[in-house]
Amino acid sequence: MAANPEAVRPERSAADERYVFIDDVTKEFDGFVAVDDVSLSIRKGEIFALLGGSGCGKSTLLRCLAGFEKPTTGRILLDGQPMNDLPPYERPINMMFQSYALFPHMTVEQNVAFGLKQDGMPKPDIKRRVEEMLNLVQMVKFAGRKPHQLSGGQQQRVALARSLAKSPKLLLLDEPMGALDKKLRSQMQLELVNIVEKLGVTCVMVTHDQEEAMTMATRIALMDSGRIRQVGTPDEIYEQPTSRFAAEFIGSVNIIEGVIKDDEKDFVTIQSAALAHLIHIGHGISGFEGQRVNFALRPEKITVTKDEPADAHNKAQGVIEDIAYFGSHSVFHVRLPSGTRLMAHFANRKRWASENFTWTDKVWLSWGDNAGVVLPA
Amino acid sequence: MSSLHRTGLFGKGMLGFGYAFLYLPILILIIFSFNSSRISTVWSGFSFKWYIALFKDDAMLNAAWVSLKVAFASATVSVILATLAAMVLTRFRPFRGRTLFGALITAPLVMPEVVTALSLLLMFTTVSGFFGTSSKGMLSIFLAHVTFTMAFVTVVLSSRLAELDKSLEEAAMDLGANRVKVFFVITLPIIMPALVSGWLLAFTLSLDDVVIASFVSGPSATTLPMKIFSTVRLGPNPKINALASLLVMLVAQAAVIGWYIMQRQEKRRLRDIQLALKEG
Repeated sequence: MAANPEAVRPERSAADERYVFIDDVTKEFDGFVAVDDVSLSIRKGEIFALLGGSGCGKSTLLRCLAGFEKPTTGRILLDGQPMNDLPPYERPINMMFQSYALFPHMTVEQNVAFGLKQDGMPKPDIKRRVEEMLNLVQMVKFAGRKPHQLSGGQQQRVALARSLAKSPKLLLLDEPMGALDKKLRSQMQLELVNIVEKLGVTCVMVTHDQEEAMTMATRIALMDSGRIRQVGTPDEIYEQPTSRFAAEFIGSVNIIEGVIKDDEKDFVTIQSAALAHLIHIGHGISGFEGQRVNFALRPEKITVTKDEPADAHNKAQGVIEDIAYFGSHSVFHVRLPSGTRLMAHFANRKRWASENFTWTDKVWLSWGDNAGVVLPA
Repeated sequence: MSSLHRTGLFGKGMLGFGYAFLYLPILILIIFSFNSSRISTVWSGFSFKWYIALFKDDAMLNAAWVSLKVAFASATVSVILATLAAMVLTRFRPFRGRTLFGALITAPLVMPEVVTALSLLLMFTTVSGFFGTSSKGMLSIFLAHVTFTMAFVTVVLSSRLAELDKSLEEAAMDLGANRVKVFFVITLPIIMPALVSGWLLAFTLSLDDVVIASFVSGPSATTLPMKIFSTVRLGPNPKINALASLLVMLVAQAAVIGWYIMQRQEKRRLRDIQLALKEG
């Protein structure tokens, strides 16, 4: 479902690589640093997500882009143009607000026309453009309604149409699905991505929902206490986290603490007090023997078996302590003799519970040479 | 069952007592306004004569006219000033002395009226001495009423502005409207109901103020409450009963109409929401 940047833009110039350029931006409020020395380059036509918990500075950064906040230091460039000194109403940037912020005293049509009217567009052109936008979001038959006469999903469509009407160079989405219920959310995510891609508009979104970021964005910047922790495509962030924070923020993960025992060119072994056997990594890493590391292993990379695997390493025996049933798969919480608990996914291929593992079963967990990631402790 | 019934009776009794406590005096007033006798406490027959006498009393009608003019003008100016004050209090970035400004603006709310009245009187006297003109009249009442009603209207408007979703104004700015435009095209229309109720509040306050008006007015201008007060001081007057009954009728009518409009809007709003949910 996620947007595919290569399909959208087969070739990119250097200017397109830095379409939105956030250069060492810091924002302080009365001594509190909300955004701490952030630099980002966002490509033309991509959907870029700022992901992080509340208070991580993602919303402040978005407001700096929109012009509602002025960076304390640093520059923001859009398509090569400095934005810092432009007020919000002079920036070629439009925003879809979390609350949608539809003007309650205006009809759907007037809401969408508002921005165009400010530009002094001739009336027939406004009418045509509004109709085009309402067509795009399939809200033509609601043109005469007031916002309070619309459901949440309909309000969102109008808000989207309004923020796209002026063909902004940059579209900002503030928690775009925040006000929708779960079922509508996944449907609207897909629809929003389709619309944004169809128009080819560059888009920066803010969200605290990792699933939403992974579904919608071409690239994600993971933020924590005002700083960028990692930037990458959704699968890069998921499969190659560069820090324990990144690994734990997105999806669930087993973190096993250990020490590097052998550091060779083409393999590495890690000794951990939690496991009876060595961890074997099938490639070299930049570390040294005796270094303390965290081994991050996603639950779905673990295989659960009844019999002991043949390999001498990358395995552990334990007892199933808890089972979380998700229908398509179950998550086993397996307690190792060392007291450590590991989570492992188990695909429910068989329908009958009697054929599957159950509580207090003794099982073997195993994983491949490249299943996990070694992170600095 | 029987105990429930008794509670019902008791409840009804209390309700009746409450209503009587609130409205019996007004009912008596209305009844006696149709009394043909001059003595207010003795009923001697139904008559419209006090109403007729009232409409022949030029001094009374003049006072009513002065009151309406003052109330209309002071409510209007007070709403304009209060809107500015409320915008400063809720929309400006924190500035030095903002807390003090807020406290000073709303001070007349807690200040005894006599103190407000006296200080205004002193100021008008000083100013007129300075310019060598007579200051006391309709203008001074108007200015005094603006001063004291503004405090109330500011409170109404700043609480409305504080609860107004700021992203509405930001969205308008984001779409290309500058601050002045945002204020007139977005903020003002949305807070219009609060402006209207603020205006009505100021109008009412001005219309029934007697203390401040008595202090600051001169012989050239008398408001209705001042006139009523001075008339009643000489003993009960059936003409005043008639006037009061008219006022009650007016207020009741406005209240009923207001209630009806609000209820109709609420019904329509609920229907719209249900419609939206069904289609959503």
